[in-house]
Amino acid sequence: MGVFENKFQDNVVVASLDKLLGWARSTSPWFFQFGLACCAIEMMATAASRHDLMRIGMLPRSSPRQADVMIVAGTVTLKMALRVKKLYEQMANPKYVISMGSCATSGGPYWQHGYHVLKGVDLVVPVDVYVPGCPPRPEALIEGLLKLQEKIQSDRPLTRKIA
Amino acid sequence: MTDNLEQLIKEAVEKALEGDMDAINNIEDRVTRSKAKAALVKAKREAAKEKPEVSSDESDSTQDSAKIKTSNENIAELIIQQFPEDINKDLSSEGHIQIHPKNWMAIAKYLRDDPACLFDSLQCITGVDLGEESDLEVRYNLHSMTHLHAIEVRITCSRNNAKVPSVESIWRIGDWFERETYDMYGIEFDGHRDLSRILLPEDWEGWPLRKDYDVQETYHGIVVPKVKEGWE
Repeated sequence: MGVFENKFQDNVVVASLDKLLGWARSTSPWFFQFGLACCAIEMMATAASRHDLMRIGMLPRSSPRQADVMIVAGTVTLKMALRVKKLYEQMANPKYVISMGSCATSGGPYWQHGYHVLKGVDLVVPVDVYVPGCPPRPEALIEGLLKLQEKIQSDRPLTRKIA
Repeated sequence: MTDNLEQLIKEAVEKALEGDMDAINNIEDRVTRSKAKAALVKAKREAAKEKPEVSSDESDSTQDSAKIKTSNENIAELIIQQFPEDINKDLSSEGHIQIHPKNWMAIAKYLRDDPACLFDSLQCITGVDLGEESDLEVRYNLHSMTHLHAIEVRITCSRNNAKVPSVESIWRIGDWFERETYDMYGIEFDGHRDLSRILLPEDWEGWPLRKDYDVQETYHGIVVPKVKEGWE
C-alpha cells in the first residue's frame, strides 16, 4: 500500500490493473457446455445443486463464443478431434482447456487398442489443467477448476512477456 | 436334554412334511426352531432326490420327444423345398442356416412373406472375420412376432471380393445394420440405396474389425501413436 495508505475511504481497494484483471477473470470462468462420454455425467453432477459450480463463478454456456473454459469431458475420437479443435478455435481469447478424465488426457482404456481414439486431447488443443480419474469425481473436477482459477489469476495480461 | 430336543425337532419336521408348519413355528427357542427348519429343508431335498429315480423311465421317453427340431432346422427344410440349390446343408446346424449369397434376396423375401415363416423382424446383422487366411461372414438374426420363432442365417463371402445382396429393401432396419457391417468389415451389400460409412468418418481408411486391419498412422495430420515398447 505504502503511498496510498489512509488516502482513501475504507471501501476503496487499490491494486495493480494487471492483478485486478486476473482476479476478475478468474472468478467468472464460464465453461463450454459439451460432454463426450461418461465424464460428462460427472461434469453435470458438478454443475448441479449438490456441488454447485455457480459458487465459484462458473456457469455453463452453450456457445463457444461465450465460453472461457472448455472442459473436454470424455473420450475424444479421431472423428470428434477435428470438431473439438474447431470449437476451440471458435472460442474467444483468453481461453482455457481442462482435460477431464483418463480418456481425454491419454486415451485412457483405449490407449492400446482403440484405433479410433485420440491419445490425449493435447494433441489437438493446448491443455491447461489435467484432471485424472475414470471418471473423476465432482470434487476432483472442482479441484481442477480451482487450480485453473489460480492459473488465470497468475496471468498478467498487460505485462509484456519476455521471451 | 439334547435327546429331547432332537426328538422334538424330528416330530416337528414330520408334522411339517405333512403340511403343518405350525409345529415348527410354535417352537419357542429360536435356535431349536432354526434347527428344525434346516432339518425340514434337508428332508425335502432328500425327498426331491428320490423322485427322479422313480420317474427315470419317464424322463427317457420325454427326452425322445424333446428332440423336437429347432426352428433353424424346420425353416431350413422349408427353404430347401423352395430353393434346393441355395442352402449349404453341411455347414448348417441346429443353431444356424448357412446360405449361399446368390439367391439371398429371394430367400429373404420368402422368409418374410411365407405364412409358415413370417419373419417380420430383422433383429441384428453382424459381420465376422473368420481369420486372416479365411473368409468373412455375415450373420442375420430373424424373429417372427406371429410364430415367435427365431433363426440365424449365415452367409460367407470371400475376403477380397466381399459382396452380399442387400436385404435393406425387405427389412427397412437393415439399412443401418448393413451400413455398420460395411463400416467395420468392408462387406459390400449389393442393392443398398446408400451404402456409406455410418460410424467412422467418410474419409477413414481400412476396415477396423478385420483381423488384418492396420491402424493408420495419421488422421488429418493428427498422429495416431502405435503401441510403444513397454506398454503392453
